[in-house]
Amino acid sequence: MGLTENVLEIRDLVKDFPSVRAVNNVSFNIRRNTVHCLVGENGAGKSTLIKILTGALQRTSGRILLNGEEYWARNPREAKEKGISTLFQELNVVDQLTVEENLTLGMEDTTFGFLRRTDKISRIVSVMNSLEPSIHPRQLVSTLSVAKKQIVEIAKAVASESDIIIMDEPTAALSEGEIARLFKIIKGLRERNVTVIYISHRLDEIFEIGDYVTVMRDGRHIDTKPLSEVKDRAELIKMMIGKTVFEQYTPKEGPCGEVVLRVRNLSTHKLRDISFDVHQGEIVGFYGLVGAGKTELARAIYGADPYEGEIWFRGRKLPPSTDRVIAAGLALVPEERRSQGLFSILTVRANVPVMNMKKVSRKGFISAAREREATRAFIDRLRIATSSTEKEAAKLSGGNQQKVVLSKCLFADADLLMLDEPTRGIDVGAKSEIYSIIREISAEGKSILIFSSELPEVINICDTIHLLYDGHLRETIRNGCEIDSERIIHIVTGGA
Amino acid sequence: METNPVQKGLAGMRMSNESFITLFMIGVLIALFGAACVVVPNFYLPQNMINLLTNNWYIIIVGIGVTFLLITGNFDMSVGGVIALTGVLSVYFCQGANVSRNELANGLGLPYGVAIALALLGAMSVGAINAFFIARLKVPSIIVTLGTMMLARGTAQVITRGAQRNTSLPDVFGVVGNMTIQGTSIKVSVLIMVALVAAAFVLEKLTVFGRRTYLIGANPEAARLSGIKVARHLTWLYILSALLAGITGILLASEFKAGVSSRATGYEFDALVISLLGGVSISGGFGSVLGMFVGAVILSVMTSSATGLLLSPDWQFTLKGVVTFLAILAQRYALDRRKG
Repeated sequence: MGLTENVLEIRDLVKDFPSVRAVNNVSFNIRRNTVHCLVGENGAGKSTLIKILTGALQRTSGRILLNGEEYWARNPREAKEKGISTLFQELNVVDQLTVEENLTLGMEDTTFGFLRRTDKISRIVSVMNSLEPSIHPRQLVSTLSVAKKQIVEIAKAVASESDIIIMDEPTAALSEGEIARLFKIIKGLRERNVTVIYISHRLDEIFEIGDYVTVMRDGRHIDTKPLSEVKDRAELIKMMIGKTVFEQYTPKEGPCGEVVLRVRNLSTHKLRDISFDVHQGEIVGFYGLVGAGKTELARAIYGADPYEGEIWFRGRKLPPSTDRVIAAGLALVPEERRSQGLFSILTVRANVPVMNMKKVSRKGFISAAREREATRAFIDRLRIATSSTEKEAAKLSGGNQQKVVLSKCLFADADLLMLDEPTRGIDVGAKSEIYSIIREISAEGKSILIFSSELPEVINICDTIHLLYDGHLRETIRNGCEIDSERIIHIVTGGA
Repeated sequence: METNPVQKGLAGMRMSNESFITLFMIGVLIALFGAACVVVPNFYLPQNMINLLTNNWYIIIVGIGVTFLLITGNFDMSVGGVIALTGVLSVYFCQGANVSRNELANGLGLPYGVAIALALLGAMSVGAINAFFIARLKVPSIIVTLGTMMLARGTAQVITRGAQRNTSLPDVFGVVGNMTIQGTSIKVSVLIMVALVAAAFVLEKLTVFGRRTYLIGANPEAARLSGIKVARHLTWLYILSALLAGITGILLASEFKAGVSSRATGYEFDALVISLLGGVSISGGFGSVLGMFVGAVILSVMTSSATGLLLSPDWQFTLKGVVTFLAILAQRYALDRRKG
């Protein structure tokens, strides 16, 4: 056997981004034909590491050995040719083609540009048949469920003789039965000479499927060990969060005001029977991992998506329509700043007053002077770094763009402000500025809902924290007393 | 590179991309005009200049609606068909009832004012159909408006039996389209065009309605999440665009005292071309009615210098195509250079 014991060896791997070292001196080995799990909180560096492996990002320094040989991929295609395939959350299948066409996509044999049927195709098809006989090769991929589409992708990776298949949260969109089938296939991959790198926030799955686990935290490698040596979830969680020191949270002085928002039995395709109250001046956090239903909850309250159940605001039932929700006094800073919040090709001045044009217009005519004045006021108040009110929003930095979106919502004079991932992708300085703005507006008696997948964020600023897992509101915690972050992680990763 | 405060100050005062493009295209217009004056005999005469500004009035009127919709990121290809339909309808409604054995000479015999109002209502209902499919059912605008383009023209063809209606019309029908401003040769239609462009400019630049048009084009999802009633806004714009096409149709029908089913064939493309020449972005959020007007005059200079050079009409189309292409390339180039 010329094969090395370790299929992949990572040595002193470093990846620097402009303001942060995302992967910091990481070294570990992955043994051949095992299921190797990778865990860590959001921002621990898992995604960056995976992107380096798949060629989507280039390392700053360090070495990677694949089968004992130096490995370097400039793009995902090259990574695949060298033996590392990836099953992304966003599946890479073409809906309009058949299963067979998808399997052979990019490796067709042709004569003068015409497709030729070869043995290769029948071999690939037979691999898929052995994995999941119920999928017909001539079936259109668009008729398959997400789970079966995944299997098509796995079959493609196996047939192209990949050494490693990376699976990034493969169960996020699957039902329990589908998960069981996927796990059976993953276990079977060992015999096919395939190593699986498995990333998931659901810790129970890790114990069920994994042979080894590697824990990352703040860009560093914490430990790699066989799962048989990990006692329980608690031990894993301890490794994941370490002794995180949180900024001091100062509890709100005095009692909270009356109830302003009352949500009862809210359900959507993703959410299950969610009920809670929000008081005047309260900062309420919704913490959960990716896919827990935070954005869905924010959008439902905002009237952007249909829902069942009742939402009452200041004693009136909220209509399920965004413009009327805004008129009732709510505003949302959406998750995707560029595609949902910002008018990036327009100027800062055109962005700020959007949600309350009445304040800068009379009888339908805009007062340019009032508009400029209002924009300048926000540029000063939020310290937006821009050379003028006439600068295109696209030309600002991420943090300043977020401040523009925030200005837009503040200008609406909303009584209840919702912020979905308010500090995603912005630097530390802008982050703390945004926190202090949030505290300021809460002190003015406005209520704030924060939807976040960053635990330090919710612990820092929220008075009440609701924990979401898989569309359910699992537990509600008052901040201020002793916060047990291990227990929080336990709950949001699916623990009882 | 270091930027000193003076440069920064200047950067802060930079004009918007929109003004830049409009000025750029005015530059292109002046250059083309200069070249035409040198090459084409009598091109510089005042009467010719007036013609350049006025003989495209019908394209400019429909160009207003097309421009507004392009700014929201939507097409309106139905305007040519609506012009034909409205013209034919106004004639049909106005023609005397039971006056002849020839069916094409018999209309409904309605009073002139009523006929016009009903014809415009017909135009707006085409706009409402567009709006329903595009704004409510989210069907891509190019598909819907190509459909209604044929629907409108098809209806006009049915009413005219594929030809035209031009008999038994009251004298009042031919008045507005042929009236000129006293002492000049400028038609009232041109005056209407100028008034509409001015009104559109005000609407676009000074009102909340105009601002929303840009916001929707810049980012429809963000517009929706900011509380803008996107579907309602698009509905108004499609009805407005159809109304403008309807007004054009009535003016043209009056000018020729005829409702012709093949009238305004290809005008939807001309309206699109002048908008693009004027710097309106096909992806939305950018452009202006003023730019569209400049684009119309550029097209006018091209067409009339081609005629002046005694180029055969066969070549005019090709020339138009080449100039459009070059002008838009130059525009993109200038805009990209500016960004750096």
